[in-house]
Amino acid sequence: MLNRVTRLVPRARQLDPGHFLHGGPQGPQGLAVHLDDQVPDESPRAGSRPSEDDPAGAGEQREGRHYRIPLQDLPTVFPHGLPRRFGLQVKTFNEACLMVRRPALELLRYLDGTNFAHPAVRYVLYGEKGTGKTLSLCHVIHFCAKRDWLGVHVPDAHQWVKSCRGLLRSAYSRQRFDQPVEASSWLKSFKTANERFLSQIKIQETYMWNKRESTEKGRPLGEVVEQGLTRVKNATDAVGIVLKELKSQSCSGAFRLLVAVDGANALWGRTTLKREDKSLMAPEELALVHSLRKMVRNDWHGGAVVLALSQTGSLFTPRMACLPQELLGKEGFDALDPFVPILVSNYSPKEFESCVQYYLENSWLQHEKAHTEEGKKELLFLSDANPGQLERLCAYL
Amino acid sequence: MQCRTDLGLCVAFPPSPVTRSGTQKAAFVGSSWPAKMAAPAGKLARGWSVLALNLRTAVPRLPGLTQVRWSRYSPEYRDPQTDKEYYRKPLAELTEEEKCEQELRKTQLIKAAPAAKTSSVFEDPVISKFINMMMKGGNKVLARSLMTQTLEAVKRKQFEKYHAASAEEQATIERNPYTIFHQALKNCEPVIGLVPILRGGHFYQVPVPLPARRRRFLAMKWMLTECREKKHRRTLMPEKLSHELLEAFHNQGPVIKKKHDMHKMAEANRALAHYRWW
Repeated sequence: MLNRVTRLVPRARQLDPGHFLHGGPQGPQGLAVHLDDQVPDESPRAGSRPSEDDPAGAGEQREGRHYRIPLQDLPTVFPHGLPRRFGLQVKTFNEACLMVRRPALELLRYLDGTNFAHPAVRYVLYGEKGTGKTLSLCHVIHFCAKRDWLGVHVPDAHQWVKSCRGLLRSAYSRQRFDQPVEASSWLKSFKTANERFLSQIKIQETYMWNKRESTEKGRPLGEVVEQGLTRVKNATDAVGIVLKELKSQSCSGAFRLLVAVDGANALWGRTTLKREDKSLMAPEELALVHSLRKMVRNDWHGGAVVLALSQTGSLFTPRMACLPQELLGKEGFDALDPFVPILVSNYSPKEFESCVQYYLENSWLQHEKAHTEEGKKELLFLSDANPGQLERLCAYL
Repeated sequence: MQCRTDLGLCVAFPPSPVTRSGTQKAAFVGSSWPAKMAAPAGKLARGWSVLALNLRTAVPRLPGLTQVRWSRYSPEYRDPQTDKEYYRKPLAELTEEEKCEQELRKTQLIKAAPAAKTSSVFEDPVISKFINMMMKGGNKVLARSLMTQTLEAVKRKQFEKYHAASAEEQATIERNPYTIFHQALKNCEPVIGLVPILRGGHFYQVPVPLPARRRRFLAMKWMLTECREKKHRRTLMPEKLSHELLEAFHNQGPVIKKKHDMHKMAEANRALAHYRWW
């Protein structure tokens, strides 16, 4: 039993996140190939090599195992931070380990086989609360960052439609509203994440910010971002320009574009922001939401769009709603149609065992009864194999 | 002041070793607990037998003694058994007494188990008691969540220290929040207490040995009072409590100081020790 469990969960491997796609006949020599194109200072932890007698056809063999994201990658790949509880776990354990699960594997397989000549495919991660949609999205983002894709990542679209202070009337379009604070923080994260692309991509039009300032055609995209960061009033427009340029230039093939939005149902939901006359505004009146909606349409090619739905931060949606139709509403569903829905569900028995094993190896489960079979059965019962609930349970045990 | 004038009873709470059978507890209203010990045993016996029959006959009232903290259950009710292992024992392994007891349980009346008592392997009576003491207005959900957040905070702080420490120090750092909690409360328990005793029109603080439950109660009470009153208003309870627990675990901090103050006062008043008659 112990052997089986340890074979299922070797110590986390600091491998290429997409390694798990290419299991099977390659076996150990495949592992060596992937280790070669690693960042040199990564090293697999002891006992992380798969055993020699792994059967072929083994993408599914990697299910349930943890893989580690190097800590130095975290500020560049996730500049706005990770989801709160996962961030606490990373800080406590001094390592960022994600479990490889079936929905993420499926998504990585699709992304690997993307035809960049076809319009961008939209993938929608949906599921019950706490099943791991956001972390699957993080896994995909790290995979694409490793593959050198350009990532446009919105960590939580719900933050753009509620509790915003400092709304301004947009200078570009009188009907829409600007959100300088949110736009400038997003620009800062975008700059940290995609530093190397900002000098390579050149804009294709001249943009006049005001009578005195403008950015000419052919200047690097970094200048638009700088303008947005220095002049906070123009930040929302800068975001719109960046998204527009990326969309038009992704077709050229110079880079691959990944658009990742968490809480995507906020784009088509309702807001709690008020206009000057205290009436609630619709999301399309926000310039940021408007530009993001244009970004997730499938009228461009050269990349992919991955969205995760979330009821937790959403406004005016019932608590038990988790399906795309319920969360997106008719308008959102029609806008996203056709998309590839990917269900993220609770842990399978193998994954649950792997998760508990991971906690035991890190000495996170300190209660002496948690190490026993009785304790594990009770954890399974109390959490119902829900990853979020299990994490909260194990936090105080 | 809680008077049950319909029962009109004045049963005095006995000092140990006569333990209470779980039904009636009374107190000297308006004074501290040790004066419960003041009644002679004879009156006590009569009081208990009256209650055992649940007779509401006229019972001679003692002036000043009224009944508080009583139970609706009469003495024949037995406590519920929530231990799963007890029921899982196969029939062959049971001893004669256990078989007899199991037979008895089929016919005897059993009290309802309180909602917070579970057969979970992770249950801890000390933690449950602490949660009950932290609870305000019956909001057990909030009290329990504060407790779990406190345990998590203690664990995270200790993990941080563990990762920052060198190899030989790591062996000394305790990361189990439950051991820290129990040890901290044990460190805060006073050994000797003070009790106001009335002599000649004045109350004197007399040093007195405390029973175990009073010591546990005082430790928890001081811990909670310290966290609620002496800290900055804006800090959250889990943060305050985790900090205090860790300090008490290392025998430092204001709660330990309060315990030492109590000991010093008792030492200072040792001349009055002969005022105690039990």
